[in-house]
Parts: sequence; C-alpha cells; structure tokens
Amino acid sequence: MLNVIDKQVLKEVAGLEGIPKGAYNIRKDGKLLGREVSANINIETNPEVDGIIIDIKPGTVNESVHIPVILSQAGLHDVVYNTFIVGEGADVTIIAGCGIHCGGEESEGHSGIHEFQIKAGAKVRYVEKHVALGSGSGRRILNPTTKVFMEENAQMEMELTQLGGVDEAKRFNEAKIGAGSVLIITERVMTDGNQEADSRNEIELVGTDSRTNIVARSVIKGNSSQDFYVNLTASAKCYGHIECDAIIMDNGINQTVPALRALHPDAQLTHEASIGKIANDQLMKLMSLGLDYDAAVNRIIQGFLR
Amino acid sequence: MLELKNVTFKALDADDDSQSSSVRTIIQDLSYTFEAGKFYAITGPNGSGKTTLAKLIMGINELSAGKIIFNGTDISKLPIHERANAGIVYGFQHPARFKGTTFRDLLSIALGSEDEERLIKLIARMGICSQDFLDKAVDSKLSGGEIKKIELATVIAKNPQVAIYDEPDTGIDLWTIGPMVELLKREQQEHGTTTIVVSHNRAFLEAADTLLLINDGKISYSGDLAGAVPILEDLSVCTFNEQCQGDDDAKCYR
Repeated sequence: MLNVIDKQVLKEVAGLEGIPKGAYNIRKDGKLLGREVSANINIETNPEVDGIIIDIKPGTVNESVHIPVILSQAGLHDVVYNTFIVGEGADVTIIAGCGIHCGGEESEGHSGIHEFQIKAGAKVRYVEKHVALGSGSGRRILNPTTKVFMEENAQMEMELTQLGGVDEAKRFNEAKIGAGSVLIITERVMTDGNQEADSRNEIELVGTDSRTNIVARSVIKGNSSQDFYVNLTASAKCYGHIECDAIIMDNGINQTVPALRALHPDAQLTHEASIGKIANDQLMKLMSLGLDYDAAVNRIIQGFLR
Repeated sequence: MLELKNVTFKALDADDDSQSSSVRTIIQDLSYTFEAGKFYAITGPNGSGKTTLAKLIMGINELSAGKIIFNGTDISKLPIHERANAGIVYGFQHPARFKGTTFRDLLSIALGSEDEERLIKLIARMGICSQDFLDKAVDSKLSGGEIKKIELATVIAKNPQVAIYDEPDTGIDLWTIGPMVELLKREQQEHGTTTIVVSHNRAFLEAADTLLLINDGKISYSGDLAGAVPILEDLSVCTFNEQCQGDDDAKCYR
C-alpha cells in the first residue's frame, strides 16, 4: 500500500498518481514494495546482488516500464544494481528515478547502478528524475551510475533530471556505442543552497557511423556548486557532439570540462561550452513583453531546463 | 499621446586606451510629441542617437534629465515591464537568442495566453503559415530573417499602443522588406498602433507619415521625406576624410 508520502514521491519522480499500468517495480527503503510484469517485459530479483533484472523481449513495441525508488527511512543508504536487457528491435520507454523524503536529522542516500544491454535495432527512451523532499535537516544523497552497452543500429535517449532538494549527487555515466547506433544524453541539474553535484561521463564511440549528442544544462543557485566532465572517445568513423551550458546565479560555482579524443582519422567530434549569468538581452526582451525581473528570470530558467 | 520633454541622456565614454573616461551627451534636451495612430520613421547618421532615443522611451536606458509623458502619465521612472504593460513595446535590432525558449513561449508571454487557437490566429495575422514555426527554439540556429520575424511577431502579439521597431530590416533580405513594411502599415491602420521605426531604409522612410531626422542627439528635421532628402544627402557627404584616412589607425569618426 502506498502512503501519502509514497504517493507524493511517486508523483514527483515518475509523474504517477498511483500504481502504474504495465510492468513496474517499486522499491521502498531497500525493499520491494510492488511488482508487476507484462507478457513482454519480465522483472525478476537478481540472485547475485541486491537488485532486479528487467528483460524486455525482442520486438516489444510501445510498452513502458516504471522502476521508481522511494526512500524515507532516516539513516538508510540504499544501494541497488539493476540490469536492463532490451531485446532486438524493441521500442520501449523506461521511467526510473529516486525520490528521497527526509523527515529527520540523519542523512539518507540512494545509489542506483543501472546497466543497459541494448540489442541490435532496439530503441529505448530512458527517463530518470531525482528529487528530494521533506522538512528534515539530514543530507539527501543520490549517486547514480548508468552503464550503457549498445549493439549495432540501436538508439537510446537518456533524460537525466535533478531539479532540487538533493544535497549531494555524484553521477557517473558510461557508454559504448556500436556501429550505426545513436546515444542522446540530456542532463538537467539545478542546485541551490550548499548543494553539490558532480557528473562524470565516459562515452566511447566504438562502431562505424555511431553517433552521440551529449547536452548538459546546469543552473547553479545560492552557494551551490556543480562540476561536469565528459570524455568523448572515438575509435571509429563516427560523429559526436557535446554541448554544456551553465547559468550561474547568486554565488554558485561551476566547472565544465568537455574533452574530445579521436583515435580514428574519420572521427568527427565537436563541443561547445558556456558558463555565465543569464544574458542581459534575454532579460530585457522578456521584460519588454511585460514580465518583471523575477518572472523573466524564471521563464528563462524554465526554458533552459526544459 | 507620447510626449518627450527636454529629454537628455548622458553616458560614460571610455577612451580607447581605457585609462580614463568622460561623460558624453548622446541625447540633448530633445522634445517631441508623437501623435496616436501615426507612423514615424526615425533616421540619421550612425551614432546620432536614434537607438538610444528608442531605448529611452522603452526604459531600457534611463533618462539623465527630462520627462516622458504617455497618455498624460509621467512614465519617466517606470521600469521596462510596467511601460510594456502600459502599452509601449520595443522590437530589438539584435533580438536575444535563448536556449530552450521557443517562439511559442515568447508569443504566449506577449499575448498573455497559451490558447492554441489565439496563437495560430496571431501568427496568421503576421503571414506565418506554418504552425511548426511556433515550436521553433529561439536560439542561435535561427537565420537572421527568422529571428527578425519572431521579434516583430512578439511586438505585435502584445497589441501595443506604441510599437517601436529598432532597425527591423537588419539581417533581412531585400525581398522581405516590402512585406514587412506592409505588415507594420497594416497594424498601424487596422489596430491604430502608433508606430515608430528606427531605420535607414528608404522603404520605411517612404511609409512613414512623419520622418524625424536625428543628428548629434537632437531632432534636426521633422516632416515628410521630400523635405528630408536634401539634409540626408548633405549628411551622406563625409567631412572627416582627413581624420579617418591614413596608414595607421584608420577608422571612422562619424
């Protein structure tokens, strides 16, 4: 049964009003809260480590699987290993994410280690949202790791979002992209107060005509800090682009380090990065349409993090 | 309707070596009354103060002295957004480019509504047929023509009493200027918009009911285009040749 806090967290993390339709696995405070499988998507407990194996049959199309995590136990630092096997030609959406509800003084944390094996021709949209709620003073810590292994002609779109409340986040994304496959990563992070977020990405374009586009949008408010690192390595004829932009507000600090490594003469890699305050001409434009300063700032940030 | 009373704007003028600065008067004791529903063109040499004057009306630049009266109310101290909500809107010469913000976002802010039907009706009024255009990101990928089209559309969407367009033809190809002039004239005529266009382009000067010639921060002429032509021709003859030419440090002093 879901209590009020569980419902609130599920809504924030996965946009769910209650138990989702189709396949799902809800983990709460390190334990299984509920699970449902479908004809094409099987979920079972991993016998070797704490976590689940999600097996999506080849050719499964237009199905989704929800695997949200709820954490509301003071002092708990939950670690979970989830493996996703996406069969050939499947086209699915995976909604993950973790919501911490902190009501006390003790810290709470979750480390979700996700491994994706994307088979040939499969298409995956992976949406992961991290939030932290509650009036407690304990630190809220989220350290996700995502490892992606793509065979040929597969597509994966990853939307990684953390828009507030998380005191400490250390993210690690790793990917190996096969021939003709495409990986699109969009990471959106907003920090405030004394929060810290660190994102490290090791992306390898290993197959001929593989492609990737890595977009990072950071908003750093208060005294918070964010660091973003990408190492994009190309060992085949391929195309890769990194675009990382950070808006600094108040006294935030940011380090953005995109690195490109071409180990093949036909690799084409580009990057663009920017760090700065909200551009004055953007503010002037919205104010000249009738928004006051604060509303203009909000609209610009809203668009930036979309 | 919109009255400028002894308007003056002074700015710090940093010297080339950035070691010292001095105060420069850009708009000097300028007075003029814009009448409701008329089409004005403001022209003059580069650096004469045209854009500064337009930005003073919008509140982007703050007055150093003088007053701006709009519909009988002194708006000299009002911030930009309050002037916008009072009925004055400004189209920038170099429109802002955003990340993530779409044409739909800007149009909805200007219109004060996200209603799809109203948005589509609005873009049709501006001659934009494609609804896909609504979801275009207003970013660096847009062409000069597209961003100008969006800029104009956002001004019109606000349904202003006074619409100020600062060099709307910048970045626009020759073939687009005619329809743009027609659009602004149509807005003026059908919606009674007092239209002020800062431009060097003859098409706008010809479309205007009144032309204001700004030189050295002052209005040196106001009237029809025919009367302005001899002055404009005179201004186009450069008198700084001796100063600007040379092997070293060649630059324009106009």
